[in-house]
Amino acid sequence: MRRTLTTSLLALGTVAGSLVIASPASAHGYISSPPSRQANCASGAVKDCGAIQYEPQSVEGPKGLTSCDADIPGFAALDEDSRNWPATDVGKSTTFNWVLTARHKTTTWQYFVGNKKIAEFNDNGAQPAATVRHQVDLSAYSGRTKVLAVWNIADTPMAFYNCVDLNVGGGGGSTTPVNPAPSPSQTSAAPVQPPATSPSPSASATTSAPATGGGNTGGGGATTWKSWTAYKTGDKVTFDGVTYECRQGHTTLPGWEPPIVLALWLPIK
Amino acid sequence: MTRRLTAALIAATTLTLALAACGTAPATPTADPTPPAGTNVAANTGEHNDNDVMFLQMMVNHHEQGVEMARIAAEKAGSDQLKTLAAAVVATQTDEVTTMKSWLTSWGKADSADTDINLHADHGGLPATSDEEIESLRSAAGADFDTTFLALFTGHQHNAVEMAKTEAAEGVNPDAKALAKSIDESRTAQIQLMLQISAAVPAA
Repeated sequence: MRRTLTTSLLALGTVAGSLVIASPASAHGYISSPPSRQANCASGAVKDCGAIQYEPQSVEGPKGLTSCDADIPGFAALDEDSRNWPATDVGKSTTFNWVLTARHKTTTWQYFVGNKKIAEFNDNGAQPAATVRHQVDLSAYSGRTKVLAVWNIADTPMAFYNCVDLNVGGGGGSTTPVNPAPSPSQTSAAPVQPPATSPSPSASATTSAPATGGGNTGGGGATTWKSWTAYKTGDKVTFDGVTYECRQGHTTLPGWEPPIVLALWLPIK
Repeated sequence: MTRRLTAALIAATTLTLALAACGTAPATPTADPTPPAGTNVAANTGEHNDNDVMFLQMMVNHHEQGVEMARIAAEKAGSDQLKTLAAAVVATQTDEVTTMKSWLTSWGKADSADTDINLHADHGGLPATSDEEIESLRSAAGADFDTTFLALFTGHQHNAVEMAKTEAAEGVNPDAKALAKSIDESRTAQIQLMLQISAAVPAA
């Protein structure tokens, strides 16, 4: 009797909770490393992906699908194996790291290669920890391998889908046009750009290594401000006819133009 | 002439803010002594609606959490590129908080959001980042720190983009909408940068 009441109350609480939590647009997530296909689109490593570039966290569909794009027509690029998806070199096991924009209560996290489920992590309906990562054994595979990772949400019929292209046992032979061994140099984080599917220079929001804007310290020679450029303290730039001095070294970004971020740029004349 | 006057005013404002900041801001862990102030805190006299107020209040909370996370990364990150980004985030978002609070105060509104998460479900939800997540950042060390920070902060900035897009669609205040646009653009670019750094972290 008492248990029944408690259970009912819990059920009520669950329903109320899920109504609140399920509604925000921010209830999403994806694998950031090794980079999933949507992460490679959002980072600019793969171009011309379409809308997924701006919302890698949104590959959501009903549970039980086996596609990379959750069967969403606007994200169809993700399911095109013919694209030159970079494959990350990994050893006989690897750790998958998730970016979550909402910590949805979760049933399971599943990993598949082909039709075979190679790993499953059961959260039993709990809210995930602050960060989610799973180590998965890949020793049964070698060379280029496409892993489908699925995040099954506990309180909705939905799941989130990611395809991650790997080169298992890395280093040897196969075609893996990505991820040189990281070096401590400042540009090490920039992935090698795979051959673009089109040479369109339109994607101004993509980058490889930041250019260096240095070399104009001290003397008069201010250069025109450009995005995706590394400036150091003391560098001078012009923007809209005003000269600014860099107050704090950073890589410039769209949306961080000097008049907007005076914390980074001091107008000097 | 006009331009020179404007520049002079900006410079004067910057100096004043910089001096003010020296008195109150906690010492930053970064080596760079540049005061984290200098934004254009001008009066915001345009009309505004409840969405503008909600956006600014939620973004103040979101930014303060973000600055807290970025401060830790500016000190502890192993990647130089990440350290530099984190320090720039501290400087720019600290400025933006000052601006947003001044607008809210001039409108007679509370200068941050009620932290009851359920109140904000219809506005995209409060940011997913919680004290628990920041705690996980403090306890992470070595190579694990960069991985943890990248996962948390990428998600955090995705939330900012979503809130900014909501403001672009539902707000009316020109200054708030301009701020939302720059937040949308710069955080999208930061996500791009952080995903590039994530891809270069050696797989465990």
